[in-house]
Amino acid sequence: MGSRASTLLREEEIEEIKKETGFSHSQITRLYSRFTSLDKGENGTLSREDFQRIPELAINPLGDRIINAFFPEGEDQVNFRGFMRTLAHFRPIEDNEKSRNPTASEPLNSRTNKLLFAFRLYDLDRDDKISRDELLQVLRMMVGVNISDEQLGSIADRTIQEADTNGDSSISFNEFIKVLEKVDVEQKMSIRFLH
Amino acid sequence: MPLRTGSHSPAGFGKSLPERGLLLLMVLVFLEGSVLPLGAASSPDISHQANLDDHKAAHEGHNSTKKPFPVLALEYDRVQIPFEISLWVLLASLMKLGFHLIPRLSSIVPESCLLIVVGLLVGGLIKLAGEEVPPVLDSRLFFLCLLPPIILDAGYFLPIRPFMENLGTILMFAVVGTLWNAFFIGGVLYGVTQIQPANPSSLNQIELLPCLLFGSIISAVDPVAVLAVFEEIHINELLHILVFGESLLNDAVTVVLYHLFEEYAGVGTVTLLDGILGVISFLVVALGGVLVGAIYGILAAFTSRFTSHTRVIEPLFVFVYSYMAYLSAEIFHLSGIMALIACGAVMRPYVEANISHKSHTTIKYFLKMWSSVSETLIFIFLGVATVDGPHAWNWTFVTVTVILCLVARVIGVVGLTFVINKFRIVKLTTKDQFIIAYGGLRGAIAFSLGFLLNEDHFPMRKMFLTAIITVIFFTVFVQGMTIKPLVELLAVKKKQEAKRSINEEIHTQFLDHLLTGIEDICGHYGHHHWKDKLNRFNKKYVKKCLIAGERSKEPQLIAFYHKMEMKQAIELVESGGGSKLPSAVPSTVSMQNIQPKKPPPAKAAERALPQLPKGREEEIRKILRSNLQRTRQRLRSYNRHTLVADPYEDGFSELLIKKQKMVELEKKIKEMSNYLTVPAAPPDSPTMRRARLASGRDTDFKPAQQQKGNKNCSDPQAYSVKPVSDSVPTIQVDLASPQSPDSVNLLDEFKHAGQQQPQVEDQGLMMKPPSGQSGPNKPHEADQARDQQKLTRCLSDPGPSADEDEDEPFLP
Repeated sequence: MGSRASTLLREEEIEEIKKETGFSHSQITRLYSRFTSLDKGENGTLSREDFQRIPELAINPLGDRIINAFFPEGEDQVNFRGFMRTLAHFRPIEDNEKSRNPTASEPLNSRTNKLLFAFRLYDLDRDDKISRDELLQVLRMMVGVNISDEQLGSIADRTIQEADTNGDSSISFNEFIKVLEKVDVEQKMSIRFLH
Repeated sequence: MPLRTGSHSPAGFGKSLPERGLLLLMVLVFLEGSVLPLGAASSPDISHQANLDDHKAAHEGHNSTKKPFPVLALEYDRVQIPFEISLWVLLASLMKLGFHLIPRLSSIVPESCLLIVVGLLVGGLIKLAGEEVPPVLDSRLFFLCLLPPIILDAGYFLPIRPFMENLGTILMFAVVGTLWNAFFIGGVLYGVTQIQPANPSSLNQIELLPCLLFGSIISAVDPVAVLAVFEEIHINELLHILVFGESLLNDAVTVVLYHLFEEYAGVGTVTLLDGILGVISFLVVALGGVLVGAIYGILAAFTSRFTSHTRVIEPLFVFVYSYMAYLSAEIFHLSGIMALIACGAVMRPYVEANISHKSHTTIKYFLKMWSSVSETLIFIFLGVATVDGPHAWNWTFVTVTVILCLVARVIGVVGLTFVINKFRIVKLTTKDQFIIAYGGLRGAIAFSLGFLLNEDHFPMRKMFLTAIITVIFFTVFVQGMTIKPLVELLAVKKKQEAKRSINEEIHTQFLDHLLTGIEDICGHYGHHHWKDKLNRFNKKYVKKCLIAGERSKEPQLIAFYHKMEMKQAIELVESGGGSKLPSAVPSTVSMQNIQPKKPPPAKAAERALPQLPKGREEEIRKILRSNLQRTRQRLRSYNRHTLVADPYEDGFSELLIKKQKMVELEKKIKEMSNYLTVPAAPPDSPTMRRARLASGRDTDFKPAQQQKGNKNCSDPQAYSVKPVSDSVPTIQVDLASPQSPDSVNLLDEFKHAGQQQPQVEDQGLMMKPPSGQSGPNKPHEADQARDQQKLTRCLSDPGPSADEDEDEPFLP
């Protein structure tokens, strides 16, 4: 699967990805084969349609947003590096990383970065705040069509009220972090990429 | 068990109450202690008596000598058994009561230890009285009557999510851990018994198989003991569920091993074939037990779907089906405990959606009560049985057993954790391992299993029993007492007491979806993928079958939200404003809802959109009136000692009179800023017009504020000043939405009862759209009168007869 002529993964690339994301060699190759299996156009990049072809994603309420999260600002194609970079957020946090050199930049799968990823899924317009409308949209996606707007509105209001500490009626990233401090984000936002 | 009487006694008496109570208890205990031997004494006489009576009757038939009519007669035998049982139960309950009178003692010594001591005392008393100690820890009694309530309580309130997330770990500990313990202890004991010192002892006669049998009996961690001790130390959820889950699931292993070794101990050899059969038997026992439990659970859920007209017996279904599951599993030698857990866990989400609020409370309280009494009785009986004996003390055997139990446990836990941590995302630390190892308490199940042994096949039964009791005492006393200080010392993470906020709920669901999506992208069929599939299946098929009416379509988020709102509204009133105002109560009350989205409510059957059926309305009424109820889905599951106290049962009347708090509330409202941007509603709807009229002044209805629910009455009489400033979020009267009987504005309601004035009412806690509108021009007075009526009805328990109100839909 990984031996298509134009998209062979070279050792150097693997090393770079390893350094950047922290995945192991076997994980990278495994994900690469997944990448190529999704890449129907065989051009080394994935487009939105490639993602949408995954059946389970279609029924996922957040499907579209997740797909969008892979694509950097304004682009329509994502290469393998970008793919891995996004997936790196979901790598489990390992104990030895916690004691890493604090001056090194935070790894992609740190708790803050995981939360930032989730935050960006709410915050579509990238203004670093989850406004009421954005929250409403997400709630509407998760809850389905049967609930009235008013009711969702009041849930959204309540949610913002609970989280908002500086009174700007939207949730900033810090408020978001604070709200989730009791939730075990390290476990919740990690996938065990099997070796 | 919160001791409410204590809290009500005036402060001055506070000090003397415990002493007095103690005295009273001692007297009662001694009385009982003395009656029990009496009871024991008369039992041998029963048959005697019966014969004598027969003779007498026979004679009387012939002679009919006239005797003076007995004014007062004594006939104890007829009621003996129920009487004794009641005495024991009473003793157990009084003991429980007593321990809480002496808080200092109960904080040092766990309750289980105290109870065993009491049992020892009572047993001693009975023996002193010269009577025969009743064989109280009879295995049948234990397994059929005492154990099921505890397990059902545990299973019904099992926190499913952490349990499932850690299922792999729990299974590893339960199965592999128990097997390791059994074989290690059995094997080493056999080795020890084979040591031939200069003077051979009776120990050498013990074969391998009885040793292994003993090992399997003693190796199982006991759920009763774990529950009893762990409840008091409040460690974090993960550790709790690990140890507790292990204690529940190792039942299957114990059952299989026990039967296997018991069967073949007589023969003396176990072949490989038997071993393989044993493994198969284990799978059958475990999975069969779960299957039986699940079937009964589904049956119970299905039955509960139809109980809307006979609410009174709803709890009965839960109990009976569960018990039947247990018994059915026991018929086939399957694991009854696992059946019971499976039954409770499976039926709970569906039953809770179907049954009334009162039934739910009943089930909760009954389960807690029975399990509490059972547990107390078990420990007391352990004490009594210890005094009873028969004992055969053998220093070597007993000490080796105790040491081996500890060693085996530690090695097992450490070894298994090493393996398990390779597969876990959140690893188990050394502290965790220590607590898990230290929490491996043995209890009455081991004793009962030992008791069941046939004396003929196992001549060393007495020695086994002695050893078992010693181990139990050791674990319960030593480990039970020291675990609390150790937890403090090691600074193990404690249980987080905070309530789950709506933020957490939303974000957790959000993350679930996110992770499922990512897993799908990676093509990795992990945890989230299957959970998502199960949820979908559940939502699509199962819920429709098992949940009555419209609740089947209600998303979890919405249900959670409603409960929160309700709770907060109650808290709001209780604390007189408190720190948070629920500014966003489900505001289906808003002006927008004047035109209901569908025609006036048809009968309960016809609900296209999710609305709360009768049951929910009744529940909410009940909540408002009497209970500060925690979110049902997030019960403090298995803590028997601290059932949430009910602040309203006694304090209701005081609340009503708290005008002061209303005023404070008023002030708080002024301070809150309006920070929500809400789409504007048509400013001059008929409702608003009416509202202005009714309030007799120009309330400033900001469109922005319309969406918010919790309303203060606009009645100028009740409040000093209604804040007119725009910045106040919200308190709105929506006069157009009548008759939601449950849409009770708490503040209004309480004011009503306090003031007995006819009020305008549209209540804020509305989860109900202005339904059944005959139009915005409904006569105001009719409204008022009806509302008033409804409110007073709300305040008193409407009971099952308030039917016409319950038909109205609760949500648009």
